[in-house]
Amino acid sequence: MSEILKLENINYSYIDGGYERQILKDLSYTFEEGKFYTILGPSGSGKTTLLSIIAGLDSAKSGEIYFKGTNVNESGVFQYRRNGISIVFQQYNLISYLTAVENVLLAMSETDNELPKDRKNVAYNLLERFGIVKTKADRLVTQLSGGEQQRVAIARALSTNVDLIFADEPTGNLDTATEKEIIDIFKSLAHEYGKTIIVVTHSDAVSEMSDQRVLLKDGILEKL
Amino acid sequence: MNLFNRAFKNVTRRISKTVLLALTFFLIGNLVIIGLGVSNASESAKTLTRQKMRAVVTYSTDYEAIWKYADKIEDEDELNKFYENYPQVKLADVKEILKDERVKTANAISTNSWYQVEGSSLDYVHLNNEAEQNQDEMYGNSTSCYIDENGNEVCENYRYVEPKFFIKSNMFPSMIEFEDGDWTLVDGRFYNQEEIDSGKSVCLITEALAEQNGLTVGDTIVLASGYNQNYEKEVGITDEDYKVEFEIIGIYNHNNPVTPDASYYNWMSPYENPDNMILMPGSSEFMATLIATQKSYDYYAEMYPDEEYYKPENRPSFENMEKYLYLNDVTILLTDPLIVDEFVEEYAPKLAEFMKLDANNEEFNKLAKPLDTLSMYADFIVWLVVINAIVIITLVTALTLKTREYEIGVLLSIGASKFKVIAQFFIELAIVAVLGFTLSVGTGSLIAKKVGATVLEYQISTSDVGEEDEYYYDDDYYNVWDNNYNTEVSLDDLVSQYEVTVSPLIIAEIYVLGLGIVFVSVIIPSFMIMRYNPKKILMNQG
Repeated sequence: MSEILKLENINYSYIDGGYERQILKDLSYTFEEGKFYTILGPSGSGKTTLLSIIAGLDSAKSGEIYFKGTNVNESGVFQYRRNGISIVFQQYNLISYLTAVENVLLAMSETDNELPKDRKNVAYNLLERFGIVKTKADRLVTQLSGGEQQRVAIARALSTNVDLIFADEPTGNLDTATEKEIIDIFKSLAHEYGKTIIVVTHSDAVSEMSDQRVLLKDGILEKL
Repeated sequence: MNLFNRAFKNVTRRISKTVLLALTFFLIGNLVIIGLGVSNASESAKTLTRQKMRAVVTYSTDYEAIWKYADKIEDEDELNKFYENYPQVKLADVKEILKDERVKTANAISTNSWYQVEGSSLDYVHLNNEAEQNQDEMYGNSTSCYIDENGNEVCENYRYVEPKFFIKSNMFPSMIEFEDGDWTLVDGRFYNQEEIDSGKSVCLITEALAEQNGLTVGDTIVLASGYNQNYEKEVGITDEDYKVEFEIIGIYNHNNPVTPDASYYNWMSPYENPDNMILMPGSSEFMATLIATQKSYDYYAEMYPDEEYYKPENRPSFENMEKYLYLNDVTILLTDPLIVDEFVEEYAPKLAEFMKLDANNEEFNKLAKPLDTLSMYADFIVWLVVINAIVIITLVTALTLKTREYEIGVLLSIGASKFKVIAQFFIELAIVAVLGFTLSVGTGSLIAKKVGATVLEYQISTSDVGEEDEYYYDDDYYNVWDNNYNTEVSLDDLVSQYEVTVSPLIIAEIYVLGLGIVFVSVIIPSFMIMRYNPKKILMNQG
């Protein structure tokens, strides 16, 4: 399998109570295409920080990130976020005044990736694939359950036709049954559609179902 | 789901916020419309009144500047020399001004009253009024007697001849009256520059005079520029010296018929009847009197041989004619009344010393003062409202931004640029502003009319312009002597033009102003957005 994301000597620290706290220390790691990764680690280990940095939401103090062989800092972080990756958040992060389908369309309108012309139908089909039928797709997201909102968030992440999807505790607010459903979706995305899924989680249930478990400890990533 | 669509959905789905903002814009819109409506009505009343006025500027000697200058001269000889050669209207200056394409023509008018040659077939147009019926008693030959130092009664026969024709001459090949359409050329043409430069004896007569005497273009008439008065016998001037033959090159209509109901009808002399007005080049008029003038100078030169004034080189001649035309001013007609002020501003600095160019708008400006004050207050209100609006909308947007941080974080996380986020905010505000302003057009227009009328009434009542005597002139009567081309206006003229209306231009202005307010109001929140870090926003949400 070819590499999709390569991290080289990533360092990140912040000042806490007058002391510098080093979160990531010369962290290097390579993620491969078509695999479902879970990043584990104790609370405060810097999992979310790591996800923010590799998703282009925050900047590392030093180090390089290569997406499909291209340095993200050189190609532009906005373009990386717009065309290279998608993120699924624990809080779903949907726009409350838009319907489910509009949230999906919103992401589709931002990307430069080649998408089918009939975007609205594609968005409805995508949502239906994750169990959001048309009547629900036309509702404001605030009128959907947590599980449904997370499915909408996943549909949105997929809608832009990116190859790399990050998820931060995507099942943290969901019940066990729904959690399993979501993980099945991630697995299917990796194995059937060749997407790379990187999930930050506390959940053993989730990590056990992933292709590769990675532990963040003392500022570095280790394969488990 | 482009940003317009997104913005529209935000506006329509967050209805309470939209209503509150729209209400704010509605109030702002009303105040702006009142301000703009009143200000525009004031400006428009001035413009419309100014448009009705004649587009003339007057070129003349600046006597005020001359007096001021003369006051500073202490040496009496120098002062006398200055007064002898005081600056006069220079036609060359006017010719330069006439080259400007904004100038239609100029009137450098000389007027005179001339006489009918005894026994001539040319007869003036009669009014048959009281003055005419009594003229044989009033004028003609009369005898005046007095007792001399030896106690003998000495009687002298005095001859008085009443002028019959009014001569109006110009030093430029057109007249304001024709350019403005007050007078019309019925046949022939106006005199040209060549005829002015050569002093050729050509003239234009009125249609009435032509009809009465059976004259047509190409005919000649004989007139007398003067008559032999008693004292002139001694000088040696004869009636013959005053006779001059003119070719008729044009027949015109002055469109000012004198009717018996005119207030001055019974007292009008024949030459005051505009039908007896003859137009000719100023140089031709000057030439017609030159023989008699020369004889007079010969006589006085013999009497006072040392007097410089009568020496041949100082006498009036065709060459130094301009000095002896004694033109007080030249009225210049422009193409548009609205360019008068800028024209004066442009040319005044270019004039020779002690010459001035006057827009003749002191009275107009004085009358327009209440409107100016009103306009100033209205503009002040508009600016005050706009500044307040910017502050209010900026604060509202900045506060709203806090509640929308999450949305901004999401948009940034999916790759939307910060510019797009700012643009969405701008569009959202613009939609609401357009809504609020559109609603305010109707109400604002009604309020503006009421407010405008009330405030104008108050302005006029507290100013003193209405108390001035207004100038009236009798429209029934065309005064041949009148060379005042300025249109007199009254406060009523201005007020009658004052009408507060919300024109499409004002509506466009309101929208532009509204979008301007929105644009400026978004600037500060934009800086806040530029500083946003999506990670921080989304982590805080978490």
